[in-house]
Amino acid sequence: MRTAHFGLKTTAILAVLGLSLTACGGNANKTGAAQAVADPGTPVEGGTFTFAEVTPINNWQTQAARFYEKANVLNSVLDRLTYYDVEAGKLVGWIASEFEANEDQTEFTFTIRDGVTFSDGSKLDAEAVKLNLDALGKGIKSAQIAPNVDFAAYKSAEVVGGNKVKVTLKRPDANFLRSTSSVTAGLVSPKTLELDNAAQSSISKIVGSGPFVFESEKPDEEVVFSSRDDYAWAPETAPNQGDAYLDTLVIKYLPEVASRAGAAQSGQVDLVRGLQPVDEQVLASSGGKVYAAEGVDLTTNHAAVRIGSGKLEDVKVRQALQVAIDRQAIKDTVLSDSYVISGSILNHKAPGFVDLSAELAYNPEKAKQLLDEAGWKPGADGIREKDGKKLEVTVSTSNNSVVIKPAFELIEQQWREIGVQLINRAADNTFLTNALVDDKVEFFGTRQFAYGGLGPVYAPANNSQTLRADPELNKLFTKEQSATTDEEHLKLVEEEQRALVLDKALTLVLWDEVQVYGANSSANVEFTSGTAPIFQGAWKSEG
Amino acid sequence: MGTYIVKRLGQALLVIWLAYTAVFIAVQSLPNDPVTIFLSTDSAADPATIAQMKAYYGYDQPLFVQYFSQLLGLLRGDLGYSLSNGSEVATRIGEVAGSTLILAGSAFVLSVVFALIIASAASLARGGKLRKALLNLPPLMVSIPVFWLGLLLLQLLAVQLGVMSLFPDGSFMSLAVPIFVLAVHLSAPIAQVLIKSVQEVNRQPFIEVLRAKGASEAWIFYRHTLKNAAPAALSIAGITIGALLAGSVITETVFSRAGLGQLILQSVTAQDIPLVQGLVLLTAVVFTAVNLLVDLIHPQLDPRIVTSTSGATRSLVA
Repeated sequence: MRTAHFGLKTTAILAVLGLSLTACGGNANKTGAAQAVADPGTPVEGGTFTFAEVTPINNWQTQAARFYEKANVLNSVLDRLTYYDVEAGKLVGWIASEFEANEDQTEFTFTIRDGVTFSDGSKLDAEAVKLNLDALGKGIKSAQIAPNVDFAAYKSAEVVGGNKVKVTLKRPDANFLRSTSSVTAGLVSPKTLELDNAAQSSISKIVGSGPFVFESEKPDEEVVFSSRDDYAWAPETAPNQGDAYLDTLVIKYLPEVASRAGAAQSGQVDLVRGLQPVDEQVLASSGGKVYAAEGVDLTTNHAAVRIGSGKLEDVKVRQALQVAIDRQAIKDTVLSDSYVISGSILNHKAPGFVDLSAELAYNPEKAKQLLDEAGWKPGADGIREKDGKKLEVTVSTSNNSVVIKPAFELIEQQWREIGVQLINRAADNTFLTNALVDDKVEFFGTRQFAYGGLGPVYAPANNSQTLRADPELNKLFTKEQSATTDEEHLKLVEEEQRALVLDKALTLVLWDEVQVYGANSSANVEFTSGTAPIFQGAWKSEG
Repeated sequence: MGTYIVKRLGQALLVIWLAYTAVFIAVQSLPNDPVTIFLSTDSAADPATIAQMKAYYGYDQPLFVQYFSQLLGLLRGDLGYSLSNGSEVATRIGEVAGSTLILAGSAFVLSVVFALIIASAASLARGGKLRKALLNLPPLMVSIPVFWLGLLLLQLLAVQLGVMSLFPDGSFMSLAVPIFVLAVHLSAPIAQVLIKSVQEVNRQPFIEVLRAKGASEAWIFYRHTLKNAAPAALSIAGITIGALLAGSVITETVFSRAGLGQLILQSVTAQDIPLVQGLVLLTAVVFTAVNLLVDLIHPQLDPRIVTSTSGATRSLVA
């Protein structure tokens, strides 16, 4: 394929472009530090805000919104029952003004806010919420829409007392409430739920209750939304409780990574996602803004381990590879100040995060010792061998992340020192097609949405991370999901992290999930715990 | 002439059918069916939904049923459904094909114009240095990567000078620049072959005869040399369709344009096999159609092609 080649060459000329950008931005306001964002001042009403995503989206079906390109837009189109407030570190009310769980975490009651309507005029009442919950928990057979993974425990919902919805689960799930804050649990008009698959995938047909309403689209080029003037039901803690400051929101696409910094700097877009580390300083020093949106709702970036090839069957080999990664070197070489080195499989700000950085410290000597103990001895070419097999492992990732490929190139060098050969197929989407379901490809570099415990990510037998279920882990997940107090729940989430990262080493953690956005100097925007821009609160400075 | 056309047409249909079969076999040799592959991007696909989708799209049918039902659909212009958004593959392609057609079509025409200008100038140039420079232009152009030129122009025109949009906004510049970028790359091989072929024709005795008769160099070039040199360039122009499509992928990415190139990228990324299948078939059809067209134009330029065994002449020309 031409594209792989293309990516390489693109990287090669970045330096040239970067230089020309810096040179021409000489007289612009220098903010210095990448994350320095000036005092925002008082929001200005009106204006059109252009946001460039990295790739066009053709399936907007809400439950399948586990991709940033969709979630970042749907976040401003669909409201949810609850909202996760990162600053407060807790779940707050949104469409549900109140919510509560029984002690067993099997029954949940949501009180639906009064006066909320969808943009087609129909009411977002308890009945509409029930229909949405059914679609999330059971899927929509007539439209071939799968149930939402985070709603795996869902049994039924009923409307009680007019404005309340009571949800009953098949089994306890202490993470259920948090799941209702996910963009993939966005509420749509009951009429939308009746459409066929193609219509439910089309942004022009999805009707939500959010602050922005679909206006027009040009396939693969742009989608235009207008602000809904009567919007008055923002999350409880949102600074802007009314309708959006902006009049119009335009979504465009910049698949070419090298154009992104220039697009934000020149004001052709107000905000762009997917800024490369090398462009951060360039943009900041030429008057633009760099936003690092932390992915609290996601796991860290990691290499999930598959043991199908047999080479990583022995936990000692996995533990050796875990400490044979020099994470600081990755940060210094291919990342930027916007990135934080992982201390666990969860992000530092995620509830229940446990800091394992001492155990994860770079220790090639210990790694060599562990590999020796596991019976992998250095061969003639320096690569370790056992029973005639070489310790050659492969990593596969999608090309969505701008930093994943160079990161694995560095790990390849680091592992070479302990006698392990890494075959780097990062950012090769064609290879990924097969690798995703092939447990003989040892590593899958990725990050996943995780709303609380790690059960939904690792428990299913066909989970995309390890491609198999681990009975011990699953017992732990069940125990965690049945926790009756917050304290107990967080303690068990900690235990899950220890098991996954250290005891079983089924994930090699790298850096906390972060999405780096570039913005024009006039743009002011904040982000959700899932790294989505909050356009309802966004505004543009005058001048 | 009639038999020649029928023969060529039959060959073209055979090629398309073989391409369909090859694509079908390639899809079957994947470790999983298209639905499972598509849903594997999800964190943990629900087996019930996989089964449902397979039944809905017909992937649970026996292989030969799938082969013939898809072939039948193909004859009706039905390429099946895109898994990534449930709409018909033909609709998805139709939405963006126009954009690529304008880009690629204009780029092709412009590249032929470029090639003609370069070849004429190089052949008619009097100064030795100018001539040498012109002769070296095609190798230089072919070695400029499409994306590099595109990015450089975008950086200069859109970011630094602000005279064009980074996005396709319907303005003249937002269409002209990508067409230019693609044409530069495309015209190089056509120009190169044309120049070579002109040089060969110029060595032939009848040119000397024309000169002896007192014909001007320009008259000889446009009335005789070019006409005799054209078939070779035409063959190359037919082959460049492949380069045109590959170039479109890159140009569309760099200039954020909707189009078939972007769609190919997206469908591969989303693991939407039916869409990929449809696009590969479309490519095969376009390729075959253009080459058929080239084959049909050839006899107009060189009547010997119909009378002699066409294969031998083609290989001579190419």
